[in-house]
Amino acid sequence: MLVEALIAVPLVGAAVVAVAPNEYAERLALGVSAVPLVGSLYMYLAFDGSGNALLGGDVAYETFFEWLTLGPYAVNYHVGLDGISLPLVVMTTVLTTLSILSAWTPIDDRQRQFYGLMLFMEAALVGVFAALDFLLWFVFWEAVLVPMYFLIGVWGGPRRKYAAIKFFVYTNIASLVMFIGFFALVFGLGDAVGSTGLPEIAQALRAGQLGALGLPGTGAAIPADVLALSAFVAMFVGFAVKVPVVPFHTWLPDAHVEAPTPASVMLAGVLLKMGTYALLRFNFTMLPEQAATLAVPIAAVAVVSVIYGALLALAQSDLKRIVAYSSVSSMGYVILGLVAYSYYGVGGATFQMIAHGLISGLLFMTVGVFYNATHTRMVGDMSGLADRMPVTASVFVAGAFAYMGLPLMAGFAAELFIFLGAFRSTVLPAAPLFTAAAMFGIVVVAGYLLWAMQRSLFGPFRLETDYDVGRAPVHDVAAIVTLVGLIVLLGTAPELLYDMMSDATVDVVEMGGELP
Amino acid sequence: MVTVAGIYAYAPAIAALPLASFLVALFAGRWLPKEGALAGILATGGSLVLSAVTLVELVLTGEGYDERLYTFVAPAETFDLGFGVLIDPLSAAMLVIVSLIAFLVHVFSLGYMNDEGEPGLPRYYAGLGLFSFSMLAFVFASNLLMAFVFFELVGLCSWLLIGHWYREAAPPSAAKKAFLVTRFGDYFFLVGLVGVLATFGTARFAGEGGFPAGPTPVSALIHAATMVAAGVFLLARMYGFYALLPTVLAIIAFTGGFTALFAASMAVVKDEIKQVLAYSTISQYGYMMLALGAGGYVAAFFHLTTHAVFKALLFLGAGSVIIAMHHEEDMWLMGGLKEEMRVTYLTFVAGSLALAGIFPFAGFWSKDEVLFETLVHGLGANPLLLGGYLLGLSAVFVTGFYTLRMVMLTFHGDPRTDAAADPHGVGWNVKFPLAVLGVLATVGGYLNPAPLAKLTGAEVDFLHRYLDGPASEELLTSAHHYGDLTHEWAGYTAGSVAGGETATMLGGAGLSLALALAGAGTAFVLYRGPDPDRHTEALGDLRTVLVSNYYQDEYQVWLAEGLTLRTAIAADTFDQGVIDGAVDAVSSVSLFSGDRLRRLQTGVVTNYAALIALSVLLGLAAFAVVGGWL
Amino acid sequence: MVLSSVPAEYYLLLSAAVFCTGLFGILTRENALMFLMSVELMLNAANINLVAFSFYWGTLTGQVFTLFTMALAAAEVAIGIGIILVLYRNFDDVDVTGPTTLRW
Repeated sequence: MLVEALIAVPLVGAAVVAVAPNEYAERLALGVSAVPLVGSLYMYLAFDGSGNALLGGDVAYETFFEWLTLGPYAVNYHVGLDGISLPLVVMTTVLTTLSILSAWTPIDDRQRQFYGLMLFMEAALVGVFAALDFLLWFVFWEAVLVPMYFLIGVWGGPRRKYAAIKFFVYTNIASLVMFIGFFALVFGLGDAVGSTGLPEIAQALRAGQLGALGLPGTGAAIPADVLALSAFVAMFVGFAVKVPVVPFHTWLPDAHVEAPTPASVMLAGVLLKMGTYALLRFNFTMLPEQAATLAVPIAAVAVVSVIYGALLALAQSDLKRIVAYSSVSSMGYVILGLVAYSYYGVGGATFQMIAHGLISGLLFMTVGVFYNATHTRMVGDMSGLADRMPVTASVFVAGAFAYMGLPLMAGFAAELFIFLGAFRSTVLPAAPLFTAAAMFGIVVVAGYLLWAMQRSLFGPFRLETDYDVGRAPVHDVAAIVTLVGLIVLLGTAPELLYDMMSDATVDVVEMGGELP
Repeated sequence: MVTVAGIYAYAPAIAALPLASFLVALFAGRWLPKEGALAGILATGGSLVLSAVTLVELVLTGEGYDERLYTFVAPAETFDLGFGVLIDPLSAAMLVIVSLIAFLVHVFSLGYMNDEGEPGLPRYYAGLGLFSFSMLAFVFASNLLMAFVFFELVGLCSWLLIGHWYREAAPPSAAKKAFLVTRFGDYFFLVGLVGVLATFGTARFAGEGGFPAGPTPVSALIHAATMVAAGVFLLARMYGFYALLPTVLAIIAFTGGFTALFAASMAVVKDEIKQVLAYSTISQYGYMMLALGAGGYVAAFFHLTTHAVFKALLFLGAGSVIIAMHHEEDMWLMGGLKEEMRVTYLTFVAGSLALAGIFPFAGFWSKDEVLFETLVHGLGANPLLLGGYLLGLSAVFVTGFYTLRMVMLTFHGDPRTDAAADPHGVGWNVKFPLAVLGVLATVGGYLNPAPLAKLTGAEVDFLHRYLDGPASEELLTSAHHYGDLTHEWAGYTAGSVAGGETATMLGGAGLSLALALAGAGTAFVLYRGPDPDRHTEALGDLRTVLVSNYYQDEYQVWLAEGLTLRTAIAADTFDQGVIDGAVDAVSSVSLFSGDRLRRLQTGVVTNYAALIALSVLLGLAAFAVVGGWL
Repeated sequence: MVLSSVPAEYYLLLSAAVFCTGLFGILTRENALMFLMSVELMLNAANINLVAFSFYWGTLTGQVFTLFTMALAAAEVAIGIGIILVLYRNFDDVDVTGPTTLRW
């Protein structure tokens, strides 16, 4: 029942916070979010699962009961965690708590609604990572959009309405495409499955039970291989918007720029991981052969995301836009790791989800701390901030170097694993070329982050907006320093998470008993 | 009596001590006396003692050490990702060099930073501590992954230290440039690392140093033993890979010779003392590459050792001069300092003579061995090496010239400014490191006086014997193992000119000494007297090319701003215009059609009723047609 | 019975005539009260149909439906009059083409 508690506590907390007086909302929300945080850490320590939840592994913290029946399909309430989802759940609770802390300074309007939505989003996010039934998962998946829409649309910047609607509509249409693709598969499986449970569907698909899909009223049928391939493409496109992968990325910078800092943190840290998590769970776990068939175009898209995203970041002068585009770049690595279909590739991609979640969260939070003080994010409007805010500037430097993949920080471990895995990929033709091309991202990322730091943090102090810049409040600093600590911890001891991750991803990679 | 493993078990502490000083300076430096300097001195002093003990142990027992320390991730099916300690003659000797210089730089910093009342000292000492830690761990790294990890950390530290004075405009820019240039090299390093790990193929390393301005002790640390030498050290560390590839070896050698001359030519026209030294460092680095490429493993390490000593000496000497000159670096504003700064002058001259390769200072022996190895292998095996040799030989003349020019301008003649006439005194903490290094620069050549060994038959080529010692035998890192490899795989055999090996050796040594003396003599003649001329006008257009470093900066700026940034801006325009334009177009089309369609809602009930009636009629008509009533 | 001799077509014609009268009223009139009356005519046209078919088939279902419709019509008139009153109060007129501010 721990997973239920993890969902219910923030959900109930959200309702309570939403009616609490504004003065107490922030502290109340922090207290509420501490409960799932502690709970998930306990779950991490007491984790006793093994293998992949979808492929017959031992699922930890599992709950199962019948919910309803839709035609021939039983829809069950089925949740549980394995080595892939548990780290993501822990990251969700950590980032929620920290972003609530980082909201204390900037959010001074309608606090109770704000913190209520944050907690509601946490509940939905935990649900997304824990659900093992498709419809249950889809409910959580869509539920995440709602609070984020309001967080951007109500507390956002000047173009918040545009950004919020773009975010909502874009990702929702993508969900529709994905939904159709997935149900085409379920119908194609026919009698082979009797429920919308993800493990059942995944195992049936991997066992090759997909049949032709008859089209009612025409007598024609879509052959199984065409069906699988088009379902793969539909699901890939649907999730690619969420990740986001070039060319479906343009909602992201707009959403990030307009979103308030805590929403940006959650968006970059957790919401993007929903896309890669779903890609891993659906596309790459359920349809490995189609993934292998499409390896070259997917790898090409990944490499383009890495390089093109980094180039776009180089051209920006808004700090948040810079970090937003670099997220596009970093998520390209995840795709590359996934498509490599090797032990370190998929494991590294999973590790990168966590690493990027923490690092991009850190950078957005730090940019937010600067913004609270200076009321601008434009690189050209400021210089020499390190002079007035030395600790925050140091943290930004640490975050930037983590983003560049500095060794002994989480990003390096993740990128190293991905590169190693991709280089040796047996699925991807010309794997070393793709890998070497993607690696060039580390040079460009260093270029734009160092340049941005040089212009905004160093040199003589200058600020175009007329604000008195002083040291940041203690709770802001505490939030960002905690993240730096976590990043260094994971960078020096990646096996803290990598062991359980690789235990769950190895089944995905294993095809016919062979380990590439 | 401690057992072998007992002593070696403390080897990780050699790096861990500076790490501790980094943490102390970072978190507690503000409240400590000297703000972290003492912790750093203690830590690097401890490292020095420990590495010296390790070296002695290695020599006495003749046993190396190769131990896994830490597993990055559990050794899975395919790759072994871990950190370890490798103590063999190469790394043991290098540990001593690096910790010695780190220690002396810390002491020197007391005078350069603390006594001058610079701000941000805890940050400075934290950076130095981290630098020492990374460098030492890099040196005893047992695998390429670990080497890469700490090499990257060294890059971070250079960024931190070069950008130390971040409140000014230039240092952060210089730091960025330095990091980017190393990063560019690291990219190839990473590709090589991943390639080696994934396939056990070859590993390629391309690393050019950036040489901007940081605090002087940092320059000393970076240039002398570390940042730049790290590339050479890595090449030496991985010599087993390279020795199998004759073409790569020849290219390394030729590039090395070219670099030696190319960088030296830029040092000739520089006006700032640290810039002369910086370009000189690149030039000397070229010699080490030349030696490695030519199969002179011992020669390369020998030159690495002596150069580390005398270049650290020169940088610290320059630092001492800069303190005295109230932070003025232009040599044309100095002059006549030798009277006022005896210790600095004498040690600086010792270092300069070593750099110029004048008998009997350290640089003479090592540079001579480099050139000798190149010559004999060039004669015996690969003619491309002869090209490298000629380039290296020409660089000897240029080196002699710019070295003496630097000495003459700084210390001789009449003081050209008030600051030079009345220099600021320097304390013991500056003189002590200078003295230590001065002595070493003078006598360091006797580590491996190969010509003496050959002539007299005495076993005085200590370094060669040491690198060939039993400790390296089992680890397959011994000099003669590499010799065998280059011989077998690359076909390197020694040749000689008429007169046999001894004549070749003596002739080569005499030639290089004569060239060095000629270069030095030319500079002496040109720049003597109380108020020397610049003489650079005589170079004509060439001077402009040299002063602007062959337009390398322009080229790099073009690469960064002209090419990359423009591509980025074009990509941004494309992204906003085409990709996001398509997204927005979809929404515009929806909005537009919605806007048109809603005009149907006139708000007049009569119109709605008419529409309903019309629709019903149309529906009826449709039914009538389809149902066949008509 | 006399009525039984009248064929169902006549009732339908009557109903159609009443309906068209109502429709004509809606399409041409601008007075809200006239609107209400025209709607009543159209409702009653439907009622005529229901009663006629009910009579024709000899079942009571259609007549019951008619009762419902009449109740509904009464309710509708109540609301309609209410709306018209509000209209008059706000616009000093019961012209339906005037108030069009709800359109977009």
